[in-house]
Amino acid sequence: MLAVIGSSVAAITGMSRLIVDIAMYFGLFVIVAMALNFQYGNAGIPNFGCAVQVIVGGFTVSGITLRLAYWLVEKAGVKLLPYQTAYDWLYNSQLNVVTVNNYLKTHPLLGVSLLLFSIAVAMVLGAVIGWVISVPAIRLRATYLMITLITMADASQIFGRNIPYICGGTLGIWIPNVFAWYPGDRGVITAVVTLAIGLICFFIFRTMLNSPYGRLMRAIRENEVTCLSVGKNVVGIRRNILMFASAITAIPGVMTAYYYSYVVDAMYQRAYWTYWSWLMLILGGPGNNAGTFLGCALVIAMRRVIIVYKWFFDKILFFPISYFEQILLGVLLIVVMIFRPDGLIPEKLLYIPGVNYTKLVRERVKVDWRTAPKMRLAGKRRRFSLKFWRR
Amino acid sequence: MLLPPLVMAAIVYACEITILSIGFTMTYLTAKIPNFAHGTYAGYGIYVNYTISKILGLNPYISFPVAFLVGGSIGVVVYMLVIGVLTKMGSGAIVLTISTIAIDIFLTALLYIYAYWLRDTFKTYTIFFILKEKDFQLGGTPGIFFVALTICIVTVVLLHTFLTKTRLGVSMRAVAEDPELASVLGIDVYRTQLYSWFLTGGLAALAGAMYPMWFQSHPAAGSYIITSIMAGSLLGGMENVYGAIIGGFGVGLSEILLTNRLQATFGIWVGEYRPLIPMFFLIAVLLIQPRGLQGAYEWLTKSKRGIELLSKLGIKVE
Repeated sequence: MLAVIGSSVAAITGMSRLIVDIAMYFGLFVIVAMALNFQYGNAGIPNFGCAVQVIVGGFTVSGITLRLAYWLVEKAGVKLLPYQTAYDWLYNSQLNVVTVNNYLKTHPLLGVSLLLFSIAVAMVLGAVIGWVISVPAIRLRATYLMITLITMADASQIFGRNIPYICGGTLGIWIPNVFAWYPGDRGVITAVVTLAIGLICFFIFRTMLNSPYGRLMRAIRENEVTCLSVGKNVVGIRRNILMFASAITAIPGVMTAYYYSYVVDAMYQRAYWTYWSWLMLILGGPGNNAGTFLGCALVIAMRRVIIVYKWFFDKILFFPISYFEQILLGVLLIVVMIFRPDGLIPEKLLYIPGVNYTKLVRERVKVDWRTAPKMRLAGKRRRFSLKFWRR
Repeated sequence: MLLPPLVMAAIVYACEITILSIGFTMTYLTAKIPNFAHGTYAGYGIYVNYTISKILGLNPYISFPVAFLVGGSIGVVVYMLVIGVLTKMGSGAIVLTISTIAIDIFLTALLYIYAYWLRDTFKTYTIFFILKEKDFQLGGTPGIFFVALTICIVTVVLLHTFLTKTRLGVSMRAVAEDPELASVLGIDVYRTQLYSWFLTGGLAALAGAMYPMWFQSHPAAGSYIITSIMAGSLLGGMENVYGAIIGGFGVGLSEILLTNRLQATFGIWVGEYRPLIPMFFLIAVLLIQPRGLQGAYEWLTKSKRGIELLSKLGIKVE
């Protein structure tokens, strides 16, 4: 990875391109999968609408940021082709974007602020979507909620396909390169930024899960009625979780748009964003972030290698390899569910101060000591005390 | 022509959605999960019809019983290999629903591979096709119109007799109501579940076999209409099979007729938004009355405000 970043000024081809691609997709999907782990693994909310939030991120870039970029560049005195009507919006898109890219090359601050603006707007819109989802989520049974969310993903894709002002309809729309100031390959810098965002998200999620709020989330997952009887606002907490996780899930949509410099509704299929992210979560094991990372890395590496070597498979097979990929997805999901219901890395018990696990349960209990690493040796230290040396 | 072609298309489509909704509701009653793979069984029905009528060159109506058997055996295999195992392991409703989505993806991909194999060996169009020319004509009306209506009515009547009069049907209802209590009474729960999965799979594939006789078909056609199926079942209330009959027929009819009406008033572009109609039904039902027509009926006849509303309209309830 470091070698790839170091050699970024040179053209990226062959194996290095594959590594960049895998890194980019790992960054994208790990954010979605971590947000899913936050919702399903820890709070028990089956959010099957990841694709809705991701599509909102993509539409933010194509519908709002693109117009803002055009407007700002025109304000600065660069002449653009007309883009007001639907026809001009579509057919002048490519030439306009080239002009904007030339301008952005000399104005790095504008590029970075456009990126930050689109991420901020996408997060706000994602949170709004999360709030909209939470209204039926509180009232409905989990299975009904899944039905509703899956159909919502389809509906948003239909709107994107048929309204050219959002993302150019079926033709798609070009997106300016906000990293035009970077001398090397665009893919590399996008991948690095995405991975950095993923790292930040990881630390945010970890802090939240190890806080009292995270423990409350797990308590709600285990037993809702008990939490209600203790006086916790279960409905409000669920809504907050959904809104927060939806806001995070919108970021990969933005980064995908910048990675391809292009947005079309078919990029944001529900089969792609929802089902594969769920496979990652279930394969790795819901409830811990390490499992999410492992599942995501395995699935992404497998998929990207299959897609990159598509030309080879298409020569020997009589059907497109993508269907074999789908078979793999289905079989893997079912096999993991039957043979490893807890995933590759099962969730451990969280250490809670004041509970003596060895005394409480006779059998060996796996405990997650990361919240209180010193307590792991608390019992042993006294037994082998070397106090008399110090005296 | 008996009726305008559009109305006939709507009725044929509504018959298919009705049969599919009945099966979907039965699965929901017995296994307590929405079966996302239910539409894909219909896709298998489509390809059984295609194989028999186009590849073997036989009468397409021969394929209907074959499709029933094929769909039923797929349902049995799905239950034996996945759903039954997961239920025995004590998995929750969410895990079971995810497993049905996985089955849906797997079966659709397998069907695509089969279609590509057919294309490779027989060198014909197998991905997008329509079998209208294989149909017989009855006084200028395509035969599938009568056949679909007959099959729909016969299925409903037979199913009603089966569920109320025969021992197996009654035990099926008992298992749907309470599996533990049913097993105390000496009913083999596993075998009854197998029979019900066979029945639902078979009915779905039967509806699928009717699909290419009027509509353009492709391997994913079955999974595309799953939204309409779920909308029909939810409109019916997901509590008994009879609600699904009304719900499925209503959703199927309105999907085509309403789209046409809206196209006439707003312009041709509305046609692109046709998939939104069942989604609208679905979300509206879930938000207004999650128990569907059944719940609405009970609200009207049982609750105080409902009875007041009825008496205002001049209807008396005992």
